[in-house]
Order: sequence, then structure tokens, then C-alpha cells
Amino acid sequence: MGQMLSLLGNTPSGTPPDPPLPQASSITASPRSALLVENDKSLLRSLRHLLEREGYVIRTASNSEEGLRLFRDCAPFNVVIINYFVPPTEGGQIDCLALQQTTSMELAMEIHTIDPSQGIVIVALDYQQPGNVPRPAEAMHIPLVISTNILQFRGLLEKIEIDRAIKILTPSERLKLQQAAKFRIRGLGRAAQGKDWEDLLGEALCRTLIGAEDIQNGRHWNRKVPFVQHLAGAMKSIASLWKRQFREQDTYLVAELTICKAEGQVHSPLEHVASPLPSADQGLIEKDDETRLLAMFGDDPDATVVLNAWMDGLNKNDIMVKHGLEAKKYASAVRRIRQKVAARENSVRATNK
Amino acid sequence: MTHRNSHNERVERIANQLADSVFGLSDNEILAEIGDSGANPDQEAERTDMVLRDASEKLENLNRRLADLGHTFNQNSWRRGWSGYRNTCETCGSFVSFEISTGQMRGDALDRLCSERDQFVVRRWEASRK
Repeated sequence: MGQMLSLLGNTPSGTPPDPPLPQASSITASPRSALLVENDKSLLRSLRHLLEREGYVIRTASNSEEGLRLFRDCAPFNVVIINYFVPPTEGGQIDCLALQQTTSMELAMEIHTIDPSQGIVIVALDYQQPGNVPRPAEAMHIPLVISTNILQFRGLLEKIEIDRAIKILTPSERLKLQQAAKFRIRGLGRAAQGKDWEDLLGEALCRTLIGAEDIQNGRHWNRKVPFVQHLAGAMKSIASLWKRQFREQDTYLVAELTICKAEGQVHSPLEHVASPLPSADQGLIEKDDETRLLAMFGDDPDATVVLNAWMDGLNKNDIMVKHGLEAKKYASAVRRIRQKVAARENSVRATNK
Repeated sequence: MTHRNSHNERVERIANQLADSVFGLSDNEILAEIGDSGANPDQEAERTDMVLRDASEKLENLNRRLADLGHTFNQNSWRRGWSGYRNTCETCGSFVSFEISTGQMRGDALDRLCSERDQFVVRRWEASRK
């Protein structure tokens, strides 16, 4: 326990009691809320401190019965955290371990039955490994915290939030993510190196779960940004990174390739290899791709104008002003381009399979 | 480099504009567009959901396996390397790598229990009885 307190910042004894919690109704309205079912006061204080630092509004219960009542009154919560040894009722049998284990598991499964999408964590600090924690087969999916490590706990909270965000995605949001991923892969061309839209979307999610702050290694999900928008941004960054890495793989500094022989002679292998510029046939393939794309819209002047303008790097407003396109006509041209390109990509994908 | 990528970049700009434009569509518009393309919107939405859940499960499997072995990995310490993401156990320093697309895991952390684990375990039940 001492370690947990040192990690989370111990509150000295004799400090004034915590301020009263907000009413239940305001808890569910909060962006992040947690229900803590914990009878051990020091652990409760530590967990509360940690969760509050993460921006959670917390509701607490000291036994299983009270926990279930609060859940029924105030659910859904972003996360429900249950002590593995929580007593069944107020003043319940603290020494009867078997009963307490059963109680926490029963509470977790009851909550899961009420709302299968509710994120639940069982805190079982007395065990060294998750496999040692006795629990029924139907509760094996519930994550356990067995370590006092703050990082592991924070990672678990992050995952629960993300899993919940995935569950509540609407069908149209899922379709938008899929379409966007397909177009990004299309834009990568050779740089995709065999990866498809599923790889791109999966990578975006994994980087979110990994959660590091920088683009190179992961992407932290800022809760102020809708989850779909976050994943869209992650896919854009990853596609850009893949493109950059693809170019870097083909690029060397002359100094990296230069060999200095024992006699002091400097020998450059570049004298014996072809130019690093793309071969003529490669250039033709790439040009052909662009030409084919434009040919698809040969009978659609508005779409051709939009395509050419996009290729020149113009945005919507520039295009509308420069070519006198009304917003409605622009949107209509974009829709036709999107549909035709998507249909062509689908048929190419189907042929390749 | 500009010469080398000019055609590619022009096509890439189109694809990126199309990707961005998808998010400006209403719910009905995206459902209609997918339907018009000959695909089943319900099936495609379900497929996207599976991709997301599958990616989440791959990482969870790795974390569960490492936790079962007693390792502690800082989620913010994953680093991208040639063999996927790499990380080291905060406690014993053993190494693991993970490839997202395949779910493949490697490293000595997967082959052994965390050697320093016992030093950090808090036995609350025992402590509460002292």
C-alpha cells in the first residue's frame, strides 16, 4: 500500500475530508466519470487522487450493494473500478475472503449484464499475476489491475475509453473512416507497399492505444476532439509518414556509399549505378495513372476543372473563385469524382483478389 | 525530387482531397454513396468495426501476455523501429517488439518471467494484518 501512496501522492492523515461530490445527475453529464467501489480508505484516496488528476468526476461506494445501487442510478460511467475484496454490504464480513471475492465478481458481472459496453476494472493488488486471481470463466474478459504501477493503470483507463468510443461509432462514421482510409491508400500509390485500408485504420487505432504524444510513435487522443476526427487525423499523419519513409528508403547520402580503400583511394559506387531518378518507364506509368484519372471525367467539365485544380494544390475556395464554380456545383463535382474513383478502386481491388 | 514525384504527388493530392471530403458528408449521403457503389453499407460498417476491434485485441493480447509474465511496460515508451514497435520492461529491462499489421510479437520479455517483479509486489492483505 505504501508504494501505491508514494506513486500517487499520499494525503497526510488529519487532512480535511474531501469536498462533497456533485449530484449524480451532473456526474453523468461530465465528460469523464468513474464509479469507485472500494472499502479500503487509503486505497480509495489514492485511486481518487489518480482519477481526478486524469480529469474524472468520481462517485464512490464502500460495498458491493451500494456500488450496484449507484450504478443503477448514475450509469453510464466511463469506467467502474471495483476492489477485488470489497464487502457485500455495509459492515459486511471483512474476514470472509471467499465471500468478498464472490461479491466483487458478482457485482462486475451484474454491471456487465446491465450494460455490456460498460468499462470495468477489478483492482486485485494482492496477486502477482493475473492468472493467479480466482474468477469465473465468464468474468475473464474483465481487465485486472494487479500492479501498483501508475502507468499500467493509466494505460488501462485509456484503453477502456477507446474501446467505448469504438463501440459507439455510428454505421455512417465507420463508413466514412473506411472510405477515407481507402482514398489515403490510393494516394500513397507505390509507397503503400502492399498495405491496404485495413492496415492504415488498424495502425491509426494502435497508435492511439499506444498513446505517445508524438506522431512518429503514437497519437494521444485529445478528448476534446471527436474520436472519428482523431482517427482521420491519425490516418493522414501515418500515410504521410509512410510516404516519407518510402522516399527515405530510396535515398542515400553520397557519403554513406563512398568507400575509402586501404591505399587511400576514394571509390564511389554511384559511378557504376544508374541514376536515382525514376526510369523512363516508371515515369510513364506514373503519368499514365494521372492521365487515366483525368480521362474518366473527359465528359464532365466541372469535375475536370476540380481535378486539375486539386492537382495544382488549390483548395475549395480558390477553385470556386478562380473558375467561377458555385458551392453547389463544386460539391456535386466532388461527389461524382468520389463515386467514380471509389467504384474504380473497388473493381481493381476485386480483380486483384 | 520534385521532378521524380510530380505525377505521383498530383494524384496523391486528388486522393487526399477525396479522403477529406468524406467527412463533410451527412449520414444519409455516405450510406447512399456506399450503396450506389454496389457495396452493402451494413456489411462494410461491420467490417470497419472488425478492423478496429481486431487491432485493439492484438495489442491487448500482447499486454496481457506481458502482464502474465509480470512485466511492466510504459505505454508511452513504445518506439517505432524497423521491426515494428519496441519497448522495454520498466522493471527488468527485457525487450519486446510488436508489428501492428501482423500482430507478430518478438523479444526476450516474452520468453521469461520478469526477474525483478517480486521486489515491487505489494501484498496488501499481508500488510493489513501487521
